[in-house]
Amino acid sequence: MRVFAGLLLLAGVALLIRSTALSVLAARGVIVDVLAFVTVVWALRWGESQGSTFGFVLGLAADLDAAHWLGRHALALALVGYGIGRLSRALVRGNPATQFMLLFAATVAHQAWALALELGGVAGWRFLLGHMVVSGLVTALLGVLVLALVSLGSGRSLFSRAAIETTPRT
Amino acid sequence: MGGFLPPAERRSGVLLGLYATLALLLLLTGDRIPQAGLRGAGAWLFAPFDRLVLVVDRLGAAWRENERLHERITRLELEAARLRQAGVENLRLRDSLGLPAYRALTLRPAEVLALAGEPVPASATLSAGASQGVNVGDAVVTSDGLVGRVGEVYAGLSRVILLTDPNSAVACEVESTGVQGVLRFFASPRPQLLLTGVPMADTLRVGQLVLTSGLSLRYPRGLPVGRVERLARDLNGLTHEIEIAPAARLSRLRHAYVVPGPVRPGAEAGR
Repeated sequence: MRVFAGLLLLAGVALLIRSTALSVLAARGVIVDVLAFVTVVWALRWGESQGSTFGFVLGLAADLDAAHWLGRHALALALVGYGIGRLSRALVRGNPATQFMLLFAATVAHQAWALALELGGVAGWRFLLGHMVVSGLVTALLGVLVLALVSLGSGRSLFSRAAIETTPRT
Repeated sequence: MGGFLPPAERRSGVLLGLYATLALLLLLTGDRIPQAGLRGAGAWLFAPFDRLVLVVDRLGAAWRENERLHERITRLELEAARLRQAGVENLRLRDSLGLPAYRALTLRPAEVLALAGEPVPASATLSAGASQGVNVGDAVVTSDGLVGRVGEVYAGLSRVILLTDPNSAVACEVESTGVQGVLRFFASPRPQLLLTGVPMADTLRVGQLVLTSGLSLRYPRGLPVGRVERLARDLNGLTHEIEIAPAARLSRLRHAYVVPGPVRPGAEAGR
């Protein structure tokens, strides 16, 4: 129940930030992919099942906010949540370099899929590529900074209680 | 394959498959699903939070806007005082010359219900008609300038002939110069408003304001019509070809005001 409430709260806050503060930045060409960021954080902390569920719910809410392509963000973020959740078992999740790489990869994947649908293909691939790299770098840098600040503020690692979803093989 | 995976992994795989299938289904059929209600509910739900988050931004913007408006009010008050003096002086001078005094315009607000005409709208339907005191021949303006004149009046509606109707003609003058001409719309070679009948001897500049002239039988004097956008020599070489950019945005009309046409001596009984 607590996890479910946390899921809803984080999704709501992410959508709120996206539609207010970050939309001002986006209008100036700097997209901070807060959807990919919170999906990565959730998947790193809770594993692949929770990660994909969170990604799907958050993506669906973001899709409803847009005028068309219902399911676009839901699919990409569910896959991102699942992938990061699976990878999280084999990685040192508290390491800033790891977080940077995961955030960069997740943002690039999410932006590539969302923008390719929005632009109707990959005809403008130069624009797509530049846009993906810039938003990947900005999101990863800011994300690592936010995670470090949260860890500093709370006095413990955000990922110390990560769920282990696998059962030991016998 | 599923049998080789532990239950937790199988569960997460099934979940992902379910989400992916759902998302793909939505991608394929989402446009046919009515989403307006959901979006409305979402907007209603998030509106208070949006306001809360934006309050700082809005406060900053309001502060800056307040400063700008204060400065503008001061400038306009000074200008209004100067214009009041000039107005009194003008009245006295017109009186001494035996000229009739200007009368204030009466504005009747109306909603623009529809625009008709391709590619440039040529007529508009207003939400005010005979019941609201609208008459054929009344001028129609927006806060930007002249839109056209009322061509047909029904009980609660009226039809406006816009400046961009090929049959429309407006007697105009260029501000502060006394240069007179007739504004007409030409659809070819490209849609444009031209001020016709201005001799080459008259000097004009791009950007000058064009107003309705006192010679007009249909329109009150001094309504902004547009600005000189381009100057060229007419084909006959005797007159200017003056392209005018309309002051009112004729393709984006939402609200307009009906101005009763000029009352001429002897026309009172006919109205």
